[in-house]
Amino acid sequence: MPNVTYIEPNGNQVQIDVPAGWSIMQAAMSNGVEGIEAECGGSCACATCHCYVESHVDAIPAAAENELSMMENVVAERKPNSRLCCQIKMTPELEGLVIRFPEAQS
Amino acid sequence: MFSFDPYSPAVDADPFPFYKTLRDEYPCFWSKEANMWVLSRYADIVTALNDWQTYSSAKGNLMTELPNRAGATLGTTDPPRHDRLRGLVQHAFMKRNLESLVEPIKQIAKETAAPLADMKQFDFISEFSSKFTVRVLWAALGLPLGDEALVREKAVLMVQSDPTTKAKGPEHIAAYNWMQDYAAGVIAERRKNPKDDLISHFSMAEIDGDKLDEREVLLTTTTLIMAGVESLGGFMAMFAYNMADYHDARRQCVANPDLLADAIEESLRFNTSAQRFRRCLTKDTELHGQVMKEGDFVCLTYGSGNRDERQYPNPDVYDISRKPKGHLGFGGSVHACLGTTIARISVKAAMEAFHQVVPEYRRVQEQLPWLPSSTFRSPMRLELARG
Repeated sequence: MPNVTYIEPNGNQVQIDVPAGWSIMQAAMSNGVEGIEAECGGSCACATCHCYVESHVDAIPAAAENELSMMENVVAERKPNSRLCCQIKMTPELEGLVIRFPEAQS
Repeated sequence: MFSFDPYSPAVDADPFPFYKTLRDEYPCFWSKEANMWVLSRYADIVTALNDWQTYSSAKGNLMTELPNRAGATLGTTDPPRHDRLRGLVQHAFMKRNLESLVEPIKQIAKETAAPLADMKQFDFISEFSSKFTVRVLWAALGLPLGDEALVREKAVLMVQSDPTTKAKGPEHIAAYNWMQDYAAGVIAERRKNPKDDLISHFSMAEIDGDKLDEREVLLTTTTLIMAGVESLGGFMAMFAYNMADYHDARRQCVANPDLLADAIEESLRFNTSAQRFRRCLTKDTELHGQVMKEGDFVCLTYGSGNRDERQYPNPDVYDISRKPKGHLGFGGSVHACLGTTIARISVKAAMEAFHQVVPEYRRVQEQLPWLPSSTFRSPMRLELARG
């Protein structure tokens, strides 16, 4: 299973083998990574799984219109590498992906 | 020969030994009684929840589906339609938008708990949790007062199924039809006199410039009322059942009510009321050496995934210090329960107030009358005695 590094708001790094097809949000939630709330469960309806993509930016499909508009609701600073990680599906190409969670989600 | 019949009273009473056999020996099991596959391991359930293209909800998500409901509610649509519907209602259920309800909910909890001060023994459900949940839901959805007890009675009936026919009985269908008529009345009233509340907004909402289908408005509202009344009440009964049986955990929560939040999470994992939901396969799928066919239904056994030792060590131990992450007590992925935040706020407020009036208690009935339901699991009566 491809490996993803999650950086929690306090800087702690967590490495997780994420099954292909799971969302990046799902694996963080199932493994208790700090810094994510994901209130809506992954419907792109709440903006509480905000993350900064620190690697593989070009390998991830661009955000769709609904994700871009939902990102207007993020609480932490919105940066060029901001994404809602419920909308990123794990694929073998994302081996070694690094995801950072912001200070606040709500 | 092992069998798993989600309609059997034995499964209503104690599904967990069945789940253990399913996980260990038949992780992809064909239940001929339910006429569907049964997935029981945490990882398989989560994979199915994430793969909504294969495991579709569009043919219904209740194990025993209500007629003409599939395709018109949040739980019975797939993305992208689902996500747009959810986008219309999610904001009303977000933590940041529910803060104004915290104090009113605490007040409702205090008022509902107060009469218990004079009772030595009582049914937790009729004397407390039912009264509390309808008042909370009425406050959250802005429903007109007057019919609360009847609405609850119908909500509890419509989620049941008949263990003999393995289908909805006429009384369950009648309750469902009654609830639709009730919801239609509320929608008509809100359209005539709109307020700043969820049903007013939803009944007039548009997706990409199109008004929502009338069936979507009606059945989503019907489902919100059903879920609000039955699911919240069902889980609260399960929580009280755990608190009554696990004295040490309860005493810790009485001494430090902040621990209720952890105890609620552990209860959601340990024996959530939302035990089993279903999906329908959109293509042939192979799992654990079995080939499931396109069009087959698949049961996602949340209650089993939550007891999977591959995910949670010592899963059959009720441990309020566990802080279980990623549990399936509210389902998961795009169809995760809409009411997670309001449920957590409500159950915590209710039990804190309850414990102030009834700090020491125990369960009276040895055998509980379990709701006959292939989807949900909760007792219909829960007698508690002080001391």
